[in-house]
Amino acid sequence: MPLAPPVRVEAAGCITALGDARATHAALLRGEVALRPLPVLGADGGEAVPLALAPGRGFDETAPPNWFPFVRELMATLPGEGWGSARRPVFVTSSNFGVGSLYAYRRHGDAAHLAFGTPSTCVDWLAGALGWGANVTTVSHACVSAHLGLLLATRALHAGFAERALVFSFDFISPFVSGGFHALKILNSGFPSPYADRPTGSIGLGDGAAYAVLTAEQGDFAIEAQSLYNEMHHFTSNRADGVGFATCLEPLRQATQGRRLWLKGHGTGTLEAGRLESTALRDAFPEAPLVGWKGSLGHTLGSCGLVELAIACEAIRTGSAPGTIGGANPSFQSTVALDPLDTRATDGVVCASNAFGGAHAAFLLGHA
Amino acid sequence: MRLFFSAMLERYLQALSVEDFGLEEPSATRERLKDRFPRGATRRMTQLGMLIGAALDELDPRAEDAVVYASSYAETRALESYLDSFPAASPTLFQTSIHPSAVQQALITRQHPVSEFFPITGRAHLVAHAVQAALLSPVSRVLLCGGEERGTWLLEQKVASERTYAFALALGSEPTGAIARVGLAAVAADWPAQRFMLTEFCDALRARQPVDLVAAPGLRFSLAWL
Repeated sequence: MPLAPPVRVEAAGCITALGDARATHAALLRGEVALRPLPVLGADGGEAVPLALAPGRGFDETAPPNWFPFVRELMATLPGEGWGSARRPVFVTSSNFGVGSLYAYRRHGDAAHLAFGTPSTCVDWLAGALGWGANVTTVSHACVSAHLGLLLATRALHAGFAERALVFSFDFISPFVSGGFHALKILNSGFPSPYADRPTGSIGLGDGAAYAVLTAEQGDFAIEAQSLYNEMHHFTSNRADGVGFATCLEPLRQATQGRRLWLKGHGTGTLEAGRLESTALRDAFPEAPLVGWKGSLGHTLGSCGLVELAIACEAIRTGSAPGTIGGANPSFQSTVALDPLDTRATDGVVCASNAFGGAHAAFLLGHA
Repeated sequence: MRLFFSAMLERYLQALSVEDFGLEEPSATRERLKDRFPRGATRRMTQLGMLIGAALDELDPRAEDAVVYASSYAETRALESYLDSFPAASPTLFQTSIHPSAVQQALITRQHPVSEFFPITGRAHLVAHAVQAALLSPVSRVLLCGGEERGTWLLEQKVASERTYAFALALGSEPTGAIARVGLAAVAADWPAQRFMLTEFCDALRARQPVDLVAAPGLRFSLAWL
């Protein structure tokens, strides 16, 4: 896949269980863990598992969705106007959309939830509530969704279909998704310890929403290269030789030779994927320290790529990147950094995400 | 950067597969298509997965292809069954209920990696945006596929498809041997955009009808049969 030309990030923001991008970045630097043990099925109970909900949000869905105030708060910081018009397209990405509403409808029978339950009804409602026009492309590829939105927006800009593009992603967890990951046994009573070589793997799940405004020529940050690869080997595992990770990283490795990098990995806390990912990143970028933030924020699913981009921008802006929260020695690789990094001596960060189906995505973010 | 309002993308439709079975039940689809997949594979596949798989097979996917997948509702039956599995949530139905699942079922069954895979959803302007994703791809051949499966209790609530169908197009950059030309042009914002649903696109493909309309704000979509 030929690399997309660079694109500028004019603005980026996010909201997590720890607050906005600045507050989240600061809390991560302090090593705060947002995850809390909560019943996997909310009011219906079940095992306590690590979940990181937006502050004050209930886990059981309401109609309209109880996550919308957080989206509205985030989008109040979005610069510009005219989003969703012909030359200011919006690229919405998510893995969950409003599926928690569909769960609530099936459990309790209140038809009011149906207006938010499918991706298209949910995005149409959001577009109306946020004042967007109808030029909204909606992408859903599980946990690499946000990366796909960034790449499509980049291409639309460079092809002349957009003067500015908004990429917006949101994933607010619900018993629908926590029940699914719990059934897969990777969401359990343990807390995630990304890249730690330990007997049992565990993930956490977290609320997250984020945006990035992409332009050709404005903004302090640039996405200099983007890469995708889909193994299509197994729904929930990767090829054991790690070729999927390596194939996705190779174009970035070639594009960054001689540069001083740090790495923000996917790092959910699963064992095999953590071992494969950290090994592939070490092989591609032997000198670069690796961090991951899902041990605090939980996995923000389809939005993780954009949430973590906003935090990475803060890290570059302040010169300090949070370490691998929840990580522990021994790690799979010596390159895993448990403590915060000084980013002032680096030229950029490679941000990577993975998803069901052996989907891989990565981009290089740096100063413009 | 090119000038705005002059953007124009074009590809050639080299091969086409359309599977439209209206009200067909999954069991009938499974029986009809079981010989198209490795032995035993269809037991684990959804109806939409089988239909998309069969449609893609006609195009002989290659590792260097990009795949764009368009569906408004995607895995409706798996989603319904997954929701009904609570409180003992089914891990299998959870993973097959995700939006890109149909294409993943088809390509995982074949152990067929691809570089780019863009699963797109939406309603009124889904076709325009899926075509845009396909035509923006820099790779030499893009497979644009899509479809729906008929729902049950979600259909009763009008949040699922009434029809079961799937299609796949191979879009190349060369006109030699092409059967149609697919174009997307940027137009002024004051050109009114029309709804153009996935079912209408499928019908146009099946009947080989031309299409020329502003299918999303600022995006004029054309399909011209050669």
